[in-house]
Amino acid sequence: MASTSMAAAKPQRKPRLVYPKLGIPFILLVLCFAAWGSAANLTDVLVSVFRSIFTMSNFQSALVQFAYYGAYFSLAIPAALINRRFGYKTGVLTGVGLAAVGGLLFIPASKALVFGFFLLALFVLAAGLSILETSANPFVIAMGPEDSATQRLNLAQSFNPVGANIGVLLGAVLILPHITSEAAKTIMSPAELRRSQESDLSLVLGPYLGIASVLLLIWLLILFRRMATPAEQSQEEEGVRSGALGRLWRNRHYRYGVAAQFFNVAAQVCTWTFTIQYAQDVVGVPRERSGWYLQASLILFLLARFLMTYLLGIFRPTKLLFLMGALGVVLCVVAMFSLNTIGLFAVVGISLSLSLMFPTIYGVALQGMGQDAKFGAAGLVMAILGGAIMPLVHGRVMDQVGAALAYAVPGVCLALVTCYALFDLLTNREGGELVSEGAHH
Amino acid sequence: MTHSRGRVGRRSPCLVAVVGVVVLSLGVTSCGGGGKKQVTAGLITKQETNPFFVTMRQVAEKTASDENVKLLTAAGTSDVDNQSQVAALEDMTKRGAKGILITPADSSAIVPAIEKARQAGVTVIALDTPTNPQSAVDALFATDNRKAGKLIGQYARAKAAGNQITPKIAMLDLAPGITSGQLRHDGFLEGFGIADGDPAIVGSVDTEGDQAKAEAGMGQLLKAHPDINIVYSINEPAAFGAAAAMKAAGKSNDDVILVSVDGGCHAIKDGIRSGEIDATAQQYPENMARKGVQALATAERGGSKPTGYLDTGVELIAGSSVPGVASKDEAFGVRNCWGK
Repeated sequence: MASTSMAAAKPQRKPRLVYPKLGIPFILLVLCFAAWGSAANLTDVLVSVFRSIFTMSNFQSALVQFAYYGAYFSLAIPAALINRRFGYKTGVLTGVGLAAVGGLLFIPASKALVFGFFLLALFVLAAGLSILETSANPFVIAMGPEDSATQRLNLAQSFNPVGANIGVLLGAVLILPHITSEAAKTIMSPAELRRSQESDLSLVLGPYLGIASVLLLIWLLILFRRMATPAEQSQEEEGVRSGALGRLWRNRHYRYGVAAQFFNVAAQVCTWTFTIQYAQDVVGVPRERSGWYLQASLILFLLARFLMTYLLGIFRPTKLLFLMGALGVVLCVVAMFSLNTIGLFAVVGISLSLSLMFPTIYGVALQGMGQDAKFGAAGLVMAILGGAIMPLVHGRVMDQVGAALAYAVPGVCLALVTCYALFDLLTNREGGELVSEGAHH
Repeated sequence: MTHSRGRVGRRSPCLVAVVGVVVLSLGVTSCGGGGKKQVTAGLITKQETNPFFVTMRQVAEKTASDENVKLLTAAGTSDVDNQSQVAALEDMTKRGAKGILITPADSSAIVPAIEKARQAGVTVIALDTPTNPQSAVDALFATDNRKAGKLIGQYARAKAAGNQITPKIAMLDLAPGITSGQLRHDGFLEGFGIADGDPAIVGSVDTEGDQAKAEAGMGQLLKAHPDINIVYSINEPAAFGAAAAMKAAGKSNDDVILVSVDGGCHAIKDGIRSGEIDATAQQYPENMARKGVQALATAERGGSKPTGYLDTGVELIAGSSVPGVASKDEAFGVRNCWGK
């Protein structure tokens, strides 16, 4: 999932971005941000590819996202423990190493021709990336002066959507156009079908081996480079303030914010996971061109982030969140009932409404939380579980009523996000600055 | 916040590791693409506007590119333009084509030109439409039209049973003496479990596969038999003609089971999706073209020469499935249809 961050206040005097001699380690970590963006959005392409290769239902193919985001969710706490006990470098090395192993597991998986093996490989890959993300964010913050921490984190995170676009590009160029067509399979013998499966899975293998190779390279470069930063020791002092959980739970803005984040991530993953299927199943876009609509979605998401950052400086964030949520709902309805290119454009357009949601919900939910925000941030990050569960629901609905009407699922998710924005607008709350994503790592 | 001074680690192992990974990456990405000797082949279609033949040409060109085949293409000006096809056969033979794929506009009249090309050493494969006699070509790659008809016949029978209706069937045929039309007709009756002359068949009309003629013919049949509840149509234009006539007669989609053959995108999106057409047997011009080009390339490079008949596949596409008859859904139909 491409995450976003909010702009920070400008310091009075421009501090250096990173400490001396940490320039290359910083670049390596930036590459990590791009790597997990690539891997995450390549899975969006994989869902449709596996549906074709293994001739499976949409529900079954959505297990790809369940494995991926389920691993992200499951490993969030262990990752924090690794960092706390062994330090960020160990965390980064563990994450990169595990992710590389996940990528390499695609080799035996493609030989075995078993879908479950691919799910295991994806789980391991995502588990590594989860540890990596948890470690890399605070590591980046610790790599330079405090004054430039947010700038540094923003810069590093800006490579995440770049990587996300590369991931989709890999799928659109290297995989989708070369997959054996279903029409061709109608006249194949069992032996020919098996050969076509092997051939198609080798296409899947290529990009993941590429990602694994890059991760392996990064792993080696980090391993041989001294990268410890003293800021790590300050983490030892951090702890959960007593009673934080209770205070957070009693705060409706936070409680509903976690739910809103769950549905936001769900809407995002559902929308992107099934864009290719919508293009193919509803509009009849040829397989080799269908990936470009997902690519367009991500580019729109990237560009809209800049626009939203500007608009967030003018309008109250929840007012903008309400408008964008409502727009998303309308676009989902258009996608459901315009079974043509207009519907497909609506699906692409949902990314516009999604672009501001993650950082806005993050900031609004933690507003005025003080020290509890550090603990509260974990709950918002773990709302990524929405990306694991709701695509399964979307897939099941799609199997029953088709690709178009199934966009009711992200539509409902976006409606709930809109309700959260409305709740914030209609309720009084104590002030406090909005909290930027990453500020509590 | 302070910092530790980073020290560049031992360079040798690092360098070795980097080189190793780069080599591994290159090894991964450089697989495939062995050099194949270029061969020349030709594709002659009936015409260039029908989406069926447009798809055939596009897939042939892509396959030719993948197989290092220099592909010459030509088409007639209409479905009955034999003369242009004769000229194209002669031209391609002169230009060095070692194999030619052809969709005959006139199954008999084209035979002398094909024989001349074969005497010059050219391998000829008929696509979609057989020659008369079929042995005039080396091989025929085409839809099993009888199977296509059988599939929609089985579907119509199961659906009629499910709806608990007494069948009153209208047959919208092609024209007398055309093999593909006769095979579809026979296949439908076989799938439905009846034979020509069965009292369930209340009327039939030759439509020549034309929408307007089908609409007019269906209108006449409805006047004579307003209780028609099953319609067999030779192709999708005929199906749309029948649907228009039924609408004009005040019949809704639910009143009649309408089945057809072809699987073009227009029929799937505007017929199956709306419920106007209940089911269609989808055929695959892409398989004809791909298999044709591959067969010619293989033969020219010393492999086995294509012979006999290759079934290029047919699938039943239904808006709603019926018990006991395997079918694909509308989404499959959209993904694999031809045209727009």
